[in-house]
Amino acid sequence: METIVPKKEWSVAIRLNHWSTVVAIFILIATGFYIAAPFTVNAGETVNKFLMGDVRFWHIFFGVLLVFAFLWRVYLAFFSRFHADWKDFFAWTDKKNFIKQIKFYLLISKERPDHNYLYGPLQSLAYAGLLFLLFLIVLTGLILLGAGYHAGWTSLVYTLVKPFENLMGGLAVVRWIHHILTWCFILFIVVHVYMAFWYDAVLQEGTISSMISGKVFRKNHSK
Amino acid sequence: MGRKSKYENTISKQYGELMAYCKGHMEQMDKTLPEPVEDFQTLLQERGISRRSFIKWTSLMTTALMLPPIFRPMVAKAAENFSRLPVVWLHFAECTGCSEALLRSSYPNVDDILLDTISLEYHETLMAAAGYQAEQNLEKAINDFNGKFICVIEGALPQGLDGKYLTLGPKGKTGVEVAKEVTSKAAAVICIGSCSSFGNVQAAKPNPTDSAGIGDVLGITTVNIAGCPPNSANFTGTLLHFLMFGALPPLDSLGRPTWAYGKRIHDFCERRPHYDAGEYVEEWGDGGAMKSWCLYKVGCKGPYTFANCSKVRFNDGVSWPVMGGHGCMGCTEPGFWDTMAPLEKPIADTTIGGGEKTVDKIGAVLTAVTVAGVAAHAGLSAIKHRGQNKE
Repeated sequence: METIVPKKEWSVAIRLNHWSTVVAIFILIATGFYIAAPFTVNAGETVNKFLMGDVRFWHIFFGVLLVFAFLWRVYLAFFSRFHADWKDFFAWTDKKNFIKQIKFYLLISKERPDHNYLYGPLQSLAYAGLLFLLFLIVLTGLILLGAGYHAGWTSLVYTLVKPFENLMGGLAVVRWIHHILTWCFILFIVVHVYMAFWYDAVLQEGTISSMISGKVFRKNHSK
Repeated sequence: MGRKSKYENTISKQYGELMAYCKGHMEQMDKTLPEPVEDFQTLLQERGISRRSFIKWTSLMTTALMLPPIFRPMVAKAAENFSRLPVVWLHFAECTGCSEALLRSSYPNVDDILLDTISLEYHETLMAAAGYQAEQNLEKAINDFNGKFICVIEGALPQGLDGKYLTLGPKGKTGVEVAKEVTSKAAAVICIGSCSSFGNVQAAKPNPTDSAGIGDVLGITTVNIAGCPPNSANFTGTLLHFLMFGALPPLDSLGRPTWAYGKRIHDFCERRPHYDAGEYVEEWGDGGAMKSWCLYKVGCKGPYTFANCSKVRFNDGVSWPVMGGHGCMGCTEPGFWDTMAPLEKPIADTTIGGGEKTVDKIGAVLTAVTVAGVAAHAGLSAIKHRGQNKE
């Protein structure tokens, strides 16, 4: 008889981490675009206006949140008590499955690739890439923050990241890289959200809700 | 007098020690430096600088060097000794704009007098000697003051063609040879201007002569007074520091003195409140420009530039670029011709591969293509996987 069994896939920590990263990234993209190309507020007196100041405050606030979310995610990859998934980021090393996966995605074959790892081969590459993107945007963000704020933890972190500023060729280039990375995130979001919906529709295992409930629904063939 | 806190006690103890060191060093210097040619105080009087103006200037320099007011007499003393410090001034690939900026002004202030009376043993633009005579002067200066003179360098060093893009003097020595010879005997090397510090326009892409800053070419530590041109206060301040403490001031990771280049222009800009308020000049001469609003959207690079222009200003504090209505172009940063371009547009409007392709345009097109791609994939998937899960 065929039964459908819920299987826990995501721990509470991973889910909290995922959604706090989502909130942070969306707010950072919106505020970031304002900082890059602000519109002028003409009405009112200067003393009563603080739009860029406020936008920068929230950008920095969620930026720091993203720093901690990133560090937390890396920590979970190695030390999660539920499932430390650092090995799953190497799912792409399975060449045979990689080709199977591409065929599945290109709708050439209906055969579902093996599920040896937590992530599919392409998925593992995408997520490893995302972590790298996060690292870069957090690094460039901390440089841009530290350059203008010379006290407390910020200045301490700034002394650590300053060599990267020189390596990249100055603040202007750092700022430029920060802007390019934003678009990489936007591209990632489009593909990531689509793939989640696609999996949910094709496999019907509850992929979308798994990031909320933590469970996927697997068919269990037993006689 | 109120009670002093532990912090205040520590600070005053530290500055007391620094003061004692400074006094000791300056007494030592007094004995070893060559005798002054002219008396500094009479010189000031002749040039029409009152005692009051001079004291005001010492206060400014003391503050600029981030020292407490008790150091004012030491700054005054160092200023008197200024003309006794032997200086060899070299010119390489440059426009002499830095020398011009330091020597010319609306009326002489203390900075200018210091630089006018500086004991220049060799300065290619100002010296009377030419040819072999000039060469002799240079050799004499670096041998007479071996290990004691300050080498000031203006201009980048071209390395292409074995350095033959730049040859100097009757013997046709390359710039690199002269620089090596002189800097090896100098007490300290001060690079004045962005050319000698980082290469500046000569090193901008595509850099056909393979130019670079002095420190990069010779592999030595230099004090980089960056700027195109730099503020004369930053140069005099650095020399004053050397006279007072016998050491060069603390430098940042790019060799620039932190007392002058430690903070960004943006952080002390008088137009900063308009930045935070969201008030920007949209185009030259608009209403915002008349109200002195922020120049961020017309390409001000102050947020990416470490310099004290917004605090010290130019021409006796009369004005500076942003005050004059044009954005900063980041001239104290390495490679600013490339990294800060386009100079009158924000960094976000930098184009890739020429033409009109900004990051935002490329990003928007890529996003549109991706969305269209996933939409097509969704449609095809609906056909391919149709009815597969019918129970």
